[in-house]
Amino acid sequence: MAQQEKTMAQQNKTELTIGFMPLSDCAPLVVAQKLGLFEQQGLAVKLERQNSWATLRDKLLAGYLDMAQMLAPMPLAMHLGLGNVAEKMSVPMILSYNGNGITLSTQLFSEVLTANSALAQTVLAEPMSASLLKPIVEQRKSAGLNKLSFATVFPYSCHYYQLAAWLYQGGISLEDVDIRIIPPSGMVQAMGNNEIDGFCVGSPWNAVAVRAGIGVTVIASREIWHNTPEKVLGVTNNWQLQHPQTLLAVTRALGQACQWLTGGPNRFEAARWLSEAGYVGAELENIAPALLDSCLTQQGSAPREVQGHTIFHQSQQHNQADREQGIWLLQQMQRCSHLDASIDLQQVVSQVY
Amino acid sequence: MSESEPQQPLRVLLIDDDPQRAVALSAALDKSRYLVEHMIGADVSLLKQVDALQPDVIIIDIESPSRDILDSLHTLNSFNPKPIVMFSEQEDTNTINQSVHCGVSAYVTREVNTKRVRSILDAAVARFQQMQSLRNQLQETQQELASRKVVERAKVLLMETRNLSENEAYQMIRKMAMDNGQRMEQVAKNMIDIITTLSM
Repeated sequence: MAQQEKTMAQQNKTELTIGFMPLSDCAPLVVAQKLGLFEQQGLAVKLERQNSWATLRDKLLAGYLDMAQMLAPMPLAMHLGLGNVAEKMSVPMILSYNGNGITLSTQLFSEVLTANSALAQTVLAEPMSASLLKPIVEQRKSAGLNKLSFATVFPYSCHYYQLAAWLYQGGISLEDVDIRIIPPSGMVQAMGNNEIDGFCVGSPWNAVAVRAGIGVTVIASREIWHNTPEKVLGVTNNWQLQHPQTLLAVTRALGQACQWLTGGPNRFEAARWLSEAGYVGAELENIAPALLDSCLTQQGSAPREVQGHTIFHQSQQHNQADREQGIWLLQQMQRCSHLDASIDLQQVVSQVY
Repeated sequence: MSESEPQQPLRVLLIDDDPQRAVALSAALDKSRYLVEHMIGADVSLLKQVDALQPDVIIIDIESPSRDILDSLHTLNSFNPKPIVMFSEQEDTNTINQSVHCGVSAYVTREVNTKRVRSILDAAVARFQQMQSLRNQLQETQQELASRKVVERAKVLLMETRNLSENEAYQMIRKMAMDNGQRMEQVAKNMIDIITTLSM
């Protein structure tokens, strides 16, 4: 009997710690906190900012965090034991779609213009194809120079797969370039030090690079993939089984926050909150663009409008984890040899989504 | 563990944003046994450093953003994985260690007694080497298994399409491999491609 009572109490765990990374698309968590949506559900939520994805993952697995905002491929990788001891994971909801961008160093961008002189400046008026990099890649190969070097934020991330897809669409394979992992907060510095020629990262870091005159943003991830999950809520299957009521309450609060984020005026308010030191802690001028469908291109050039640059809520989907999307992500992992081709994707996705 | 004392000093790369802590740790380690190189965590030239120094073990603060750079050493094949020890503020590091890939890294509490740091470092290196050799064995076995499967499949296809005996099919693949200076697996793969394309 005592056991039963204990189980009931656990189901209604009311004090929670949720991990997040200081990026613009943590907006749903911040909005839910600021608008008191968690309290309305009877929850006392502590948002705990993390500095690295790997540490966020380990803390979640160790139970220091109850749940966390995660890169969409992350729970799948965790479930499969890629980078950690395999742990059954669950994705109760999607927190955001799209939102990343690819930025080239100003140096590489001027090489692109030189190699494709017919383009002149019109290239920034639309998303740039990676095929424009092909002559540079070839030339470096034949001259025996270093490969172009790109950075993304984590191996199992949409950023990595979007970068790979963009290069592939331009006829460039992953073997033709070097890809390394750098935390978002280190990207601009690495580019400034000429350590990398380009990166794929989320807001605010593309804007930071453009405004600093260090980089040129050539394409938004919305223009590489059409409306795919970017961040999700991740929780261990075990936790979900122990606290189903609590999880439901959390997803209700976050669902309301995502809906609140559909309108432009609210987006600006969210950007103001995000700029606070405890959340993203970056300048409003760098956080706001991606939330307002604006993709900064180059210092001194006009920004480009990208409809759906960052989406928090799709009316058809209600932020539900969609199995087809899960399969799609697993296929990207396979394409980049992060996952064995013989894995039964349907089975994996039915366990996690 | 009856490890004999290593003759070479252990090269330690310490990544910590707090210079005082770094100095304290370096001071606590016996200079003849450990060469400690300290760097600030936010420095993104970390991979260059790892490449240049080839440390035997890396110590990093769990809260450092650079942790993801190190974590990727295990994922991206272009880099050599290294044993990593993480300093954590958490009192109880047992739970977190259970979920971490065994041997890749270990979490230890920040307040660790410096005398114990030495045994932790030695254990991390030894366990990591053990894991690496296991991992290599596994990889070789998987590779061999996959290659056998391919040859088997090519054999069956040859038997079916050319009415050969099993032994004849095997000899045919082997002869082609020797003639072309290719591995049997590669020849088998090409054959499967050709036969399946033709029979479409």
